[in-house]
Amino acid sequence: MEKGRIPSGAVMLFGFPDVGLVGVIAASHMIEELNLAEVAQVESRLLPPLIVLHEGLPHSAIRVFGNHDVLLAVSETPVPADMVYLVVDALIDWGRQKKVRMMISLSGIPVQERQDLKELKVFAASSSVEVLTAVKAKGIEVLMEGYMVGPQAVMLMRCAQIGLPATALLAQCFLNYPDPEAAAEVLKSLAKVTGIGVDVAKLLEKGEEIRLKARDVMKRTQEEMSKMKKSQEYDIPVYVS
Amino acid sequence: MVSIKKRRSAADDFDVYFRDLRREFEEWGGKLFERPSWNQKASTIEPLRDMIVAPTEVVVTVDLPFTRENTLQVRALDENTIEISAEMKRKMSFRELGITHHVGEFQRFHFQSRIPVPVQMKKMKIRFRKGMLEVHIPRGRARSESRSRAVGQK
Repeated sequence: MEKGRIPSGAVMLFGFPDVGLVGVIAASHMIEELNLAEVAQVESRLLPPLIVLHEGLPHSAIRVFGNHDVLLAVSETPVPADMVYLVVDALIDWGRQKKVRMMISLSGIPVQERQDLKELKVFAASSSVEVLTAVKAKGIEVLMEGYMVGPQAVMLMRCAQIGLPATALLAQCFLNYPDPEAAAEVLKSLAKVTGIGVDVAKLLEKGEEIRLKARDVMKRTQEEMSKMKKSQEYDIPVYVS
Repeated sequence: MVSIKKRRSAADDFDVYFRDLRREFEEWGGKLFERPSWNQKASTIEPLRDMIVAPTEVVVTVDLPFTRENTLQVRALDENTIEISAEMKRKMSFRELGITHHVGEFQRFHFQSRIPVPVQMKKMKIRFRKGMLEVHIPRGRARSESRSRAVGQK
């Protein structure tokens, strides 16, 4: 359901609950910093009977925010594992109708000994060689081999199939704990790739508060990640050329 | 009526051990997901935590933002239960967490947890860095595990 003017030719971003809640924290900060308005929401009777109340009014948990140049799809609750294809495919089809020029998923990649890392790297995987080359040219390291599980995996594969330029930006993060520092890193990389700059100072300043507030969403996300076998992202792949 | 009882093999013991282990973990997860993460009466809040059972140790990690480090306490309540508590740097109300239909405030993290394998609590080591607690507890030896034999040894 659309609620506002939808720009044409925008960059469409995805911030869904996943490892370290990197995408959701980054998306939430972007909405605040760029003053993005709600322009659409996802409605389906196939989704769980759940709404989010804001100031006493009902909202879908999955909404799209935007301005003249950006569309940002964000979910305030983890998408059930068996609904990921349905939701991501629907958002991609909607984005194509709006003639988005690129889709980017903001997320994380879990690393062991995360608390010992002083600098967090951001990796990228893209829908085509051309997009990957362009992202690499902006100084983002490529995730060469491995498994990807969750909404960003579905988004990347579907976009590759339909020829829509897409990238997943994945910041090193905690698997099971909200990680505002990783969210800040992914936003810095987003700025390099798209030129959409967001000041992350406030995000880092409010890091502890975010970690406290995000506990319950993180717990629910852990449940869905477990159903999706998210820990497979730690696995060493068998190389099949 | 004839009843045939199969003698339990080492493999059966192994299965039973892992079934029990799985049940413990499900219990851990079930409690974590189905109760509120706060206790209004005690003014405490449960932190996010994780447990890894490695071959030589059990590692419990706990996310403790806003913690006043000098109030952090990790106690062994018995041979397989630990209790973790810590004061927060400031009080946090439901309202600050975005909830207006409950009244109350929290200033302390608290939780107790069972360790699902035998451990040596006395050798527990803790590390606290950037609001993240790590508790390392060396694994103990269960009776059924107490004998080992090298390959080729008679």
